[in-house]
Amino acid sequence: MSRRGAIALFLIPSALVMGLIVLWPFVYNLWLSMTNLGLYTIKDGPDFVGFAQYLRLFGEPDLYEYLLRTLIWTGINVVFHVVIGVGLALALNQKFTGRAFYRGLLILPWALPQYIAALSWRGMFNFEYGQINLLLGSIGMDPVPWLSTEVGAFAAALITNIWLGFPFMMVVALGGLQSIPKEMYEAADIDGAGSWWRLRHITIPLLRPVMMPAIVLGTIWTFNNLNVIWLVTNHGEPADSSHILVTYVYKAAFVYYRYGYAAAFGVLIFLILLVLTWMNYRQADKSAYGA
Amino acid sequence: MMKHRAHLPTVLGLVLAIGVVACGPSRDDPNRLTVWEQMDPAEQAMLREHLDMFEDEHPGVRVDVVHFETENLRQNFQTAALAGTGPDLVYGPSDGVGPYSIMGLIYELEDPRLNIHPDTLALYLPDALPKVNGKTYRISDQIGNHLTLVRNGAFAPDAPMTMEELIRVAKENTIDEDGDGRPDRWGLVFNLAEPFWLIPFLGGYGGWVMDESEHPTLDSEAMVGALALVRRFIDEGIIPPSCDYPLSDTLFKQGKAAFIINGPWSWQGYRDVGIDVRLSSIPRIPETGLWPSPSTASKGYSMNIHVPETRLDLVVDLMMFLTSADVVGRLSDRIGALPSRIDVGNWPRVANNPELAASWEQLRRGRQMPLVPEMRAIWDVMRPGMQRVVSGSATPEEAAQRMQEDALRKIEEMKL
Repeated sequence: MSRRGAIALFLIPSALVMGLIVLWPFVYNLWLSMTNLGLYTIKDGPDFVGFAQYLRLFGEPDLYEYLLRTLIWTGINVVFHVVIGVGLALALNQKFTGRAFYRGLLILPWALPQYIAALSWRGMFNFEYGQINLLLGSIGMDPVPWLSTEVGAFAAALITNIWLGFPFMMVVALGGLQSIPKEMYEAADIDGAGSWWRLRHITIPLLRPVMMPAIVLGTIWTFNNLNVIWLVTNHGEPADSSHILVTYVYKAAFVYYRYGYAAAFGVLIFLILLVLTWMNYRQADKSAYGA
Repeated sequence: MMKHRAHLPTVLGLVLAIGVVACGPSRDDPNRLTVWEQMDPAEQAMLREHLDMFEDEHPGVRVDVVHFETENLRQNFQTAALAGTGPDLVYGPSDGVGPYSIMGLIYELEDPRLNIHPDTLALYLPDALPKVNGKTYRISDQIGNHLTLVRNGAFAPDAPMTMEELIRVAKENTIDEDGDGRPDRWGLVFNLAEPFWLIPFLGGYGGWVMDESEHPTLDSEAMVGALALVRRFIDEGIIPPSCDYPLSDTLFKQGKAAFIINGPWSWQGYRDVGIDVRLSSIPRIPETGLWPSPSTASKGYSMNIHVPETRLDLVVDLMMFLTSADVVGRLSDRIGALPSRIDVGNWPRVANNPELAASWEQLRRGRQMPLVPEMRAIWDVMRPGMQRVVSGSATPEEAAQRMQEDALRKIEEMKL
């Protein structure tokens, strides 16, 4: 067998699996988005409606509100994940007593099942009995109506997700920091460079290639994070005012049986993420090659 | 080693596929049945006992059970049945019947292939046989699921007869024991976040969620009255303003609330922690003279439309066994479920049970929840409306008007 033939043969199982679990659902979703599949059409089969679901989608003012909230949600989360994660990684990269203990402790939020963590945080945000308000009360502050106001519920979800997400960035950054050759810092020391200069001109540039894929992944995960908003705000409460795009799509599909509409929404989310990812990678390439 | 790795994705795919198939009916084995349910732990244990009895009566037959949380059961059953698989029987509350039947996922029990005689169905109370467009789609093993006023006998020995009396006793029982400005015991607790708890008061003011043509009737004087009453509970300071289900349940279990409004599923849990549980109807509304009317529902079994012909008779046998007088009677005796069968309801030990009598009384004042899928939209618009009134961001009039507008829009969207 030729080399090319052997390569093709080895690729067949993966190609089949990828086709089955990625390509086929994607094509099927595209088809669904051009039908009126819903509660009343499932039994007899949906009709092909072309781009009607997309036109309906873009005509709804809620879309733009959810899109804006999703972008704010993603932006704030990723910024905090990276800043806290890298900051803690820099601290943990130093030598001090109990370093292994703190490293384990700070990874804990990541190790907890998201479902349980989100529900626990929801309990902690309770107005009368939640630990957060009890803590605020103990320092003389008024309790905050976290879960009953639009801003409060969104802030509660943000705090929960920041807590859940920073360990991932911390672990990635720590790995990156440990791969930076010590000789570079020693050379900088000899040249009389201060710690700020070393951070700016050695640590951050050499950390960037490691962090960029993590940031892209973090952006996609956060953009598509259903669990935290859904559970902390109890399905988008109050009054459906804390939805992001994916929680709204989930509700449209699985509460209201609007499968065709939800599929169109899914395609839109895919396109937004495609653009965001492309922009991220483009930026990363520019940074890496100075283009 | 490399060769093995190259096949790993395929093998993993197969394992996943087998895992999914294993949860549904085994198509080739006519003696292996599957039930999907959303029962609480006490009911699950009893179901297993009953299935063991059924297996003893049918040598060679095996019945597997898969448990889901209510909402997951609905989604998983829909997905599985749409794909032509799923369990033989699905157990759950009657509101699942609406969407399942419209999507054609469950059998009409009048289907001649099932050989269920009309006289057999006549053994059950009407509420135990949920119907859509005049066709029966489920046989229930219990009815009710209705909210009732539960009081802690240590704080409130007597049942209040009017809403004013309830508020007065609740006020007397709202006590700040340590003087920190926050009550340590509350007069009344219930879930302020879910409209299921608003429905009784809506009925108490003479309203309902839909008219006979299934058109929403939320912007009504009755809805305004019900919302105003809920707001009054907060303004009187007898209920925690952020009271949701876990908080109300915990406070009552800890002996920190005199009254709770909750359903039959919760009562045994209160007894287990030593609360002197006493039941009575939610008291009459003085302005209307009406009793609050909680929504009622039943819980029971429906047959997957994809049950193979080879075991149709066996599945019908199983469904009839699980809703037989013996099984329904045991459920009533052991967990206090209201019986779905007329004959069991007439058994002296059931008819003369004082705790069941209080539950019956509340049930008689209740009203069956509509089974139409549009109820999802109704719940979904009532929830924020109720929450706005609770948080003080809308008046009852504004909330009622918004509920109606949103309900009409969402119901229309469900058809697009």
